[in-house]
Amino acid sequence: MFTLTEDLTKAFLSDLGLPVPQGLAFVKSGEAARYAGTLSSGAVVKALIPTGRRGKAGAVVLTDTPEEVKAAAGRLLGTEVHGFAVEKIYVESKVEICREFYLSFSLDSFPGQILISSSGGVDIEETHARDSASVIRGDIDPIKGVNKKQARYLWQQAGVTGDELAEVVSATTSLYDAFVKADAVMMEINPLVLDSDGAVSIVGAMLAIDENGLPRHPDWAEIADGSLIASWRKFNARELSVSEANRKIKGGAVRYTELDGDIALLVGGGGAGLLQHDMMLAIGGRPANHTDTNPGAGIEEKFKVTIRAIFDNPNVKCLLVSFNHQQLTHCARKAQPLAEILRERNVNTQEFPIIVRLVGPGEEEAKEILDEFPGLTYLPFDASLDDAVRAAVDIRNAMENVK
Amino acid sequence: MSILIDENTKVLAQGLTGAQGTRDAEFCLRYGTKIVCGVTPGKGGLEVHNLPVYGSVKEACQQHQVDASVIYAPPLSTKEAVIEALGAGLKLIVALAEFVPRHDTAVIAAAARENGAVVVGCNTNGIISPGKSKLGAIGGDDPSEVFAPGRIGVVSRSGGMSAELSLAIKRGGLGVSTCISMGGDVIPGNPMVDYIQRFVADPDTDAIVMFGEPGTKAEHEVAAYLRTKACTKPLIALLAGEFQENYPQGVSFGHVAAMINDVEDTVSAKRKMLSAAGAVVVNSLGEIPLKIREQLGS
Repeated sequence: MFTLTEDLTKAFLSDLGLPVPQGLAFVKSGEAARYAGTLSSGAVVKALIPTGRRGKAGAVVLTDTPEEVKAAAGRLLGTEVHGFAVEKIYVESKVEICREFYLSFSLDSFPGQILISSSGGVDIEETHARDSASVIRGDIDPIKGVNKKQARYLWQQAGVTGDELAEVVSATTSLYDAFVKADAVMMEINPLVLDSDGAVSIVGAMLAIDENGLPRHPDWAEIADGSLIASWRKFNARELSVSEANRKIKGGAVRYTELDGDIALLVGGGGAGLLQHDMMLAIGGRPANHTDTNPGAGIEEKFKVTIRAIFDNPNVKCLLVSFNHQQLTHCARKAQPLAEILRERNVNTQEFPIIVRLVGPGEEEAKEILDEFPGLTYLPFDASLDDAVRAAVDIRNAMENVK
Repeated sequence: MSILIDENTKVLAQGLTGAQGTRDAEFCLRYGTKIVCGVTPGKGGLEVHNLPVYGSVKEACQQHQVDASVIYAPPLSTKEAVIEALGAGLKLIVALAEFVPRHDTAVIAAAARENGAVVVGCNTNGIISPGKSKLGAIGGDDPSEVFAPGRIGVVSRSGGMSAELSLAIKRGGLGVSTCISMGGDVIPGNPMVDYIQRFVADPDTDAIVMFGEPGTKAEHEVAAYLRTKACTKPLIALLAGEFQENYPQGVSFGHVAAMINDVEDTVSAKRKMLSAAGAVVVNSLGEIPLKIREQLGS
């Protein structure tokens, strides 16, 4: 999942014919001010970062003149908001707000949900805390979609009537279609505005996109990269190298996230990686990183980049290479890249402990490939994932005792 | 017996002519799976492994008795392939593809419910009733190394872990009635609790092992079912991903579905919930056969 910035979100909605205020993204305050001068109204200047709650952070500024736009842009550019560097600002036409509504669609689970409220413009959590009855929720039938009948029913429950009802109902069904078309897992329109002419305007808009939908949206592929832990912290150089390899090399997938321990994990297969990580913590081991992998043609190259990152991490004291029974994937496809990097980096495997638990097709061949490294422990077929984790923690503890 | 598939299940392979379909089907046929024909749009009339290929599921179902379909379609074609199989009246579908868009998986889940069908997946390596039949890559070319026939039902949110659970069961001197990799997506075609109910109803399953992860409400539904006291068989639950709780919400270290959006979706919350509802919660693979024996008094 990744969040689209406001400029891309609004361009997408605008291309579908939805009413969004006129706006553009800028990197320079002077250009932003010149653009603001061409707008028929005052302008709103916003830090262009992929997250919400910008208003509270002072990253949304209402202006009346191009000079004010320049000042606001200059103030915002180069700062950091909610952990994101502000490299661009978004300048858009100020809308005469008559009424503000809240509307969101989400697909976090089945069935998806539509959430609406006649109190827009503030965080929905706040609205809910103040008056939970004012937040109306509905299930979405993915086959029927959100149709006029359902939208009307929900907005009527929210107390909307007459011409206003017709306007928001029509916007709701169009926005739902956009939600599906964007392959979004979350669309939040806050506020959905009725302007002084009684027309709808989409003033606040945020879209979180499903990565699996990206093949249908090639324009967004670049943005999606690296957003996974962006909400937590930025990638370091080693994580970035894996992330870039993931994007540039076709096939398979590797994820690499550094943590503060000293036992490197080259684990994968979703669940097996999670299980081993939990077990390691439970018996006092401290992972230096987590990895997750999807096998696929090209995975060997991605493995190499990941193993290099592991050896570049100065905190790493030993390495656990342990996967669930491979079933279909040949074990050599994991052993080969490991051997190559051990050679490339001249790793002294007598001193740097490596535990390998790799079972399944090609196990014998994998063993032969790794045979040239003295001291490397290739666990026997009977060793379980439990055993592999224990072996790695034991060896790490033994190193401590030798010192 | 077993659930969903056995030695008599007649299977259609959608996408049989593709590289993955051809290779997987070969392993399945060798294992004993009764694949009767294939379907690839526009390739009707071909033969793969001496099996006839048809241009549509409907046409294949007119020529053969078909009980189940396994789908090798690529991610963006999977929804259409599932809808086609449901339209032809099939009630068991295994949709293997990973990376199927979330909106497509929602349509698949809704369509499966509307048709009273079980869609295993998406993002699964398949299902196996050891010694009888398997659908998908599960077990690879030599499933007997991992899967021994027996009386324990297995359902896992992780394909790799379905093998590890079954291996732990085998090493403990027990075997598996049916093992289900239900798929690692946020919206699976069929909910976890449905498989557990099927195991409870299966006279040849004595106990059930499940593997859960952070994220989604799959385990909550299982706990709710346990609280109805309708589960008459021991349920052993292994859950992994507690360490994710040390990091901010919205971060996933494994499957997409393992993203925590809600404190109730954490592994520690799920462990508590399942344990309170009567499941036997374990923390390692080695405990699984021991707890099964303890529960069954064998």
